[in-house]
Amino acid sequence: MEMTILFIISFFLAIMETAIPYLIKRTVVFGVTIPDENTRDRRLLGFKKQYSIIVSCFSLVVLVGFWVWGMQANPVDGQLFLVGIALPFAIMFVSLACYVYFHARTSQLKRAEKWGEDSRQVKISDLSVRSQDEMLPWYMYLFPMLVTLGVIIYTVLQYPSLPDQIPTHWGPNGQPDAFTPKSPASAISTLLILLVMQAMFLMINETTKRSGIKLSATRTTASRIRQLTLRKYTSWFMFITSILITMLFSFLQLSTIHEGMFGEGVMLIVPFVFLLVVLGGTVVFAVKVGRAGEDIGSESVAGMADFDEDQYWKGGLFYFNKNDPSIFVEKRFGVGMTLNFANPKGYLLVLGPIVLILVVSFVI
Amino acid sequence: MIIHIEPHADTPIYTQLTKQIIEGIARGYMRPGDSLPSVRALAGDLGVNMHTVNKSYHELEKRGIIRIIPKSGAVIQAPVVVTQDSHHYEHITDELKSAIAEALVLGIQTEQVEELVTSIIQDLHAEAEKK
Repeated sequence: MEMTILFIISFFLAIMETAIPYLIKRTVVFGVTIPDENTRDRRLLGFKKQYSIIVSCFSLVVLVGFWVWGMQANPVDGQLFLVGIALPFAIMFVSLACYVYFHARTSQLKRAEKWGEDSRQVKISDLSVRSQDEMLPWYMYLFPMLVTLGVIIYTVLQYPSLPDQIPTHWGPNGQPDAFTPKSPASAISTLLILLVMQAMFLMINETTKRSGIKLSATRTTASRIRQLTLRKYTSWFMFITSILITMLFSFLQLSTIHEGMFGEGVMLIVPFVFLLVVLGGTVVFAVKVGRAGEDIGSESVAGMADFDEDQYWKGGLFYFNKNDPSIFVEKRFGVGMTLNFANPKGYLLVLGPIVLILVVSFVI
Repeated sequence: MIIHIEPHADTPIYTQLTKQIIEGIARGYMRPGDSLPSVRALAGDLGVNMHTVNKSYHELEKRGIIRIIPKSGAVIQAPVVVTQDSHHYEHITDELKSAIAEALVLGIQTEQVEELVTSIIQDLHAEAEKK
């Protein structure tokens, strides 16, 4: 079971990393802005292809190697876990190395060909675009939080019947494998962590809503569809994830309160189904957003180009723009949002919940 | 309504923004009572500093085109009768005077200037009537 879970995670990651060049908007290639009319350049298409081939071949080799080793060598649990955790990191590292190489090649090519240098650079905005924004309202995120509060109240009422050792960690077989002595705080600590995560989703939704809707001057309709799709699906993805973790944590809490309520089979299958649904949801999200607006042809006007923002993208990956009040912007390499690292509020939003979760898990 | 900004142009960004909003209203893309996006939203969409958008909105308010209502945003004002002693009239006179003076100095004929003014008004109205 443990091996299957580790294998599925790495397999899934390998597919996503391989597909990235084909899921990002076509006017940004390996983190470099390319004028719309040059995006079909033979060499750029070659870079994308080479990247995907290298990443997929490497992933295939390590995945098959992992599977064969796991089956033949019968490694002890600890070994299997270590290798299984190292696997996704190895795939990410190779993808990143390839990215850095092709980012440099693409920048070189852009400079050598002087792409976009004689164009007038334009920024555009649609004053009415916000009326088409379909992000979920903040109060939707309160429903899973209410469920958590309900489970906390239920735990308090059932406190006398709780076991003397409260589980804090569950193994891959679905059974608890780490415990802490019973106390009012430890009885609800997992639920407090859950509340922090739910609040984080709510805050991310609100800050994303307040972040800019970036339109392209040369691909106005296509970029509008993509931005609105990205915002809508980010919002839904976070909402569904919030609901799913609420269900998982409530399930674990109930299994602690009523020992033996769920059979071993259920304890095994629930976290596994959770994992599969979240990974599946990520694929749907990436494909929906990745294809949004891509079927719309070019509307570019001769001599006009989008404002070149490469100066704000360090290494093509990290956005630093202190003029832009947006906290979240669309990623350049990957599907989803990334932080504007020049905005201190963004750090607070991401680090705050992590610190809170650490405090809850260490102090209690 | 689409706003085009050229960050590398000689005209400051806030002036480009002000001009385009005024033209958008003249063409009927936006009507009295409509709201402009919040300063933060428009600055985020354009990726420009909030001060830039704020400056443009205050310029529009000074010229009597929008009204900034605290907490609810910038609303486009209904046109009023502008009398000759109002400072808006004075401002328009100044602007026209410098443009016309430049035209005359360049050698553009009086009839040409008159034709130009008429055709610009027609152009702005044409789209406003289609709406």
